Formats: sequence, C-alpha cells, structure tokens
Amino acid sequence: MSALATTGEGSLTGGRPAPGGTDRRRRRSTAGWLLFPSLTLVLAGLILPLALMARTSVAHFDAASPDLVGFTLENYARFFGEPFYLMILARTLLVALSCTAICLVLGVPAAFVISRVESRTLKTALILATIIPLLMGNAVRAAGWMVLLADKGLINSALLSAGLIAEPVRILYTGSAVVIGLIAVLLPFMVISLESVFENIGTAYEEAAQTMGAPPWTAFFRVTLPLAMPGVFSGCLLCFVLAMNAYATPVLIGGPSFQMMAPKVFEQAIKVYNWPFAATIALVLMAVTLVLSVASSLALQKRYGVL
Amino acid sequence: MTGSRSPFPRFLSDGSFRPVMVGGCIAAFIMVLSPLAAIIWVSFFENKIISFPPTGYSFDWYRAAAAMPQFRDGFFTSLELGVVATLVSLIVGVPAALVLARGRFPGREAIQSLLLAPLIVPGIVAGAALYMFLIEVELASGVQVAMTFTGLAIAHSLIALPWTVRLVTASLVGLDPQLKEAALTMGAREFTAFRLVTWPLIRPGVVAGALFAFIASFVDLEKSLFLVGPGMTTLPIVIVNYLEWSIDPTIAAVATVQIAIISAGLVLTDRYFKLARAF
Repeated sequence: MSALATTGEGSLTGGRPAPGGTDRRRRRSTAGWLLFPSLTLVLAGLILPLALMARTSVAHFDAASPDLVGFTLENYARFFGEPFYLMILARTLLVALSCTAICLVLGVPAAFVISRVESRTLKTALILATIIPLLMGNAVRAAGWMVLLADKGLINSALLSAGLIAEPVRILYTGSAVVIGLIAVLLPFMVISLESVFENIGTAYEEAAQTMGAPPWTAFFRVTLPLAMPGVFSGCLLCFVLAMNAYATPVLIGGPSFQMMAPKVFEQAIKVYNWPFAATIALVLMAVTLVLSVASSLALQKRYGVL
Repeated sequence: MTGSRSPFPRFLSDGSFRPVMVGGCIAAFIMVLSPLAAIIWVSFFENKIISFPPTGYSFDWYRAAAAMPQFRDGFFTSLELGVVATLVSLIVGVPAALVLARGRFPGREAIQSLLLAPLIVPGIVAGAALYMFLIEVELASGVQVAMTFTGLAIAHSLIALPWTVRLVTASLVGLDPQLKEAALTMGAREFTAFRLVTWPLIRPGVVAGALFAFIASFVDLEKSLFLVGPGMTTLPIVIVNYLEWSIDPTIAAVATVQIAIISAGLVLTDRYFKLARAF
C-alpha cells in the first residue's frame, strides 16, 4: 500500500524502504484505476466546462444563433468600457472587503473564546452552533433576514413599539442588508478557521507572556494573534472569496437595485440569453478574486514569512 | 472577578479582556443564529401576514406547506439528488481518498487540488459552465442532459465529491499502512485485508463524508440554478422562487423543516466524527 509513498516526508509513512520494482509498478497502475473515476468526473463536469466558458467569453454574441462564432475581445471591452459594469465590480469588491473586515472583528473573539472554554460540553455546543448554520443553505437564512429586516419586520416593530423611531427604517433591499446577511453567512467560516488555529497554539505562550508581566490585551495582540496569522489570513481569504461570489443573499435581500457580480452572470445568461457576456462576467469575477487572493498572500508572505 | 467556577483559565480573566472577548463572541453568535431563530419562530405564527407580536400560534402552516405540490416535489427531488450524489461521490471518492492517503507521490498535490476544486470554483460560475457544456453535448449528440435529473445529478455529485474525498482522507491520515501490509503478509487477500483492517478505520470518515456530501447537495442553490427545468426543481430553488414574491409563515415552515433535517444530520455526524475536523 505504501509503494507510492517513497519520499515519506510527511508523518504518514515514515522512511520505510520501497518494495521491489515490479510490485511498485503494479501498485501504481492500481492507483491509476482508483483515481480514474473521480478525475473523470471532475474533468468532465468542471474543467472542460470551464474551458468551454473561456472559449465562449471570446465569442461574438448573436441573438439569433446559439453557436459559438468568431474570436473577439468585444465582450471584455464592453465590460471594462462601460462604467455600469465597473460600478458593479467595484460594489462587489467593497461589499466583500467590508464583510471580511467585520467578520474578522467578530470572528476573532468568538473563535478565541471557543478555543479557550474549558468545559467540553460547552465547547462542543459552541462548535455545533457554528457549523450547523454554516451548512444551512443560503435560501433559509435569507428568509430569516427578510423576517427580521422588513419594514414590518421584527427589528422595525420592536423599535417602533419602544418609541425609538416614528417611521419604519428601510433596511431590507439596501446595501446594509446585504452586508448584514453576508456576515451571517461568512462568519462561521471565519470562526472555524480561527478556532482550530487558536486551539493548536495552546495557552502556554499566553501564560508565559503574562507571567512576565504582560496584561491580557498585550499578551493577546503581541503573542497569540501574531502566532495565529496564518489562520487569520486563510479565514479572511475564504470570507472574501465567498462574499465576491455571493448570489442568494444579494438577490433576495439586496433587491433588484443593489446589483452584484454573481447575480449579473445569471441575469445575462438566463434573462438576456447573452451567454458570451455572461461567461465574460463570470471569468472577470474569477480572475479578479484570484489575482487579489494571490497578491495578498504574496504581500503577507513578505511580511510574516511562509503562511 | 476570577471565581473558580469561571470556564476560562485564570490568567485570561483580568480586567476588560474577558468581557470584551465574551461580548464579541455573543455578538457573533447573535449575528449567525438570529435569522434561523426568526424563521423558526415565524413558522408557528397564526396570522398569515407576518406582524409582530403574533396574534397567536398554530401548526397549520406545516400542513399547508406539506399540501403544496411545489414544496413536496422540490423536497423529494432534493432528497433523491442528495442520495444519488452521495452514492456517486462515495463510489468515486473513497478509492481516490485511499490513494491520496498513501502519502506523497509525484502529482499528489495536483490530483488533490483537482478533486477539491469543485469546492473552490464559485457555484454560479461552475453551474453556468456546466450548463453551457451540457447544451453543447446536446447539440452534438441529440441527448438532452441539461434541465434533466441526470444533469442535476452530475452537478450534485461534483458538489458532494470534495467532502467525501476530504473527510475519508482526513480519517486515514496517521493510519499506519503497515497494518494492512501485516494482514497481507499473514495471508489475507486484498479484499479481506480491506474489509477487516482498512474499512473499520475509515468508517467514521466515510459516514461523516457521506453526511456532509448529502447536506452540501441538499442545500445547494447556486450550482443548480442553471440546471433545473420544468418539473425538475430542487427545494432551495423552490424556496428562493417563492421568496421573490412573498414571505409568509408557510415558507417559514418549509425552512424550519430544512433546518430540523440538517441540524439532526449534523448532530448525528458529530457523534461519529468531530465536526471541527471536517474543515
């Protein structure tokens, strides 16, 4: 079983000698057969479709025919030439960045508290309370926010009956509602990424810092948090990528006037039938997300070493 | 302030540190849990038009939701898709995980990234791309795949695959391959060794992988959006289509049923496999 693990650098196999040559070749072909079905599924269901999408994005749009015709950059020129689409990209970036920042501010205390709770039962309960919403699906959560944020929703009703406001405040179908809704979606990802990191750091460093006279805040910001930087970064990256690609939340609680990139892909494809332009928007979205992720990880690597 | 009953280590219990941290934690949980709590509450309201406080409470909306064909069909389509996707992801994913868990070999990183890629490529992009691809397949072969159960099943198997691969691999990490070799040396056949040695070791990972795969498929919205068709719609899409028109206790009841199913599944999973290990 270990014939493929000849380098054994990880803890998986250690440095045991590899078995003989024929045996190794036989094992290798077994591995090929074991990997074949899953790789076929991913290639046929994801990689080839993405390649086709890239091809479609440089095709000329002809409303009369679904065939892919010609090679042209006109779709990209249109996207980057029209302020309307650039505004949507800028708005998506702004929403994604603010959500990530707020998730960080709320996620750090939550993850830290969960990692330092000493009661096993409480810790399990808190982790379950983080993961269950994470896998709940966006449709259900959006419904919850609609109930809370609507003009006659719970928040407005409570504020009205408390006499704090005279008129219902418009929250639903605004940018703030989208940011609130996305934070609720993304925060569990941030908390889960950070919790395991704080857990692995352990309390020894904090204790040492405090023994040497550092107040808790100093110990936290000068010792624990710098040690947790890889987790902080991967949590932020995850939140940012997911926020950039959000679909259900902007559509349902942002309303038709608050437009973001992912809903635009759907609109161009299904409502306008302009598949080349839909493919262009999708690829621009992926490219911008990827470039920013790689650039930020390179910048942070310079600052903090290997992440 | 640092009573011996505090759940925290003593050294973190001085001054403003603990109140601020605990406050941030509570705020985070309110943010995450309040929409779920709100929708569960509303599903028991008596009045059809949602207003606070409610005029009374009732279970009628659950009966009303169960009687609406679009929710029933959506629910059963999602259930079937979830089961098919989970089975496919296990059949193709477990063998792949067994190979990946063997340790480092040339191309391992690339294969692993490829198998986990469906998790990283945004749902809406992957869904749109798959739809276009299936239309091309149809144009070339004359067989309709998009907007059929098969098309959805392909998409959902891809959603499920990274979870089974990841969790089965995770349950195998640290597993000593010499265990199985010992069984083989002592004369066990390949299949017997798998059944008696490897299988008991990976079972928690397979169970957890299957449950996560099912849930990821069941709640998916973005990837299915392009691929659903008339008479072939998943529950989350039925919910979203309904929400675009109105929000009432009926949809809240549907959402609550989904919340209950998924919570039960996850609490169950946690007994076999610590959920935090899945991420």
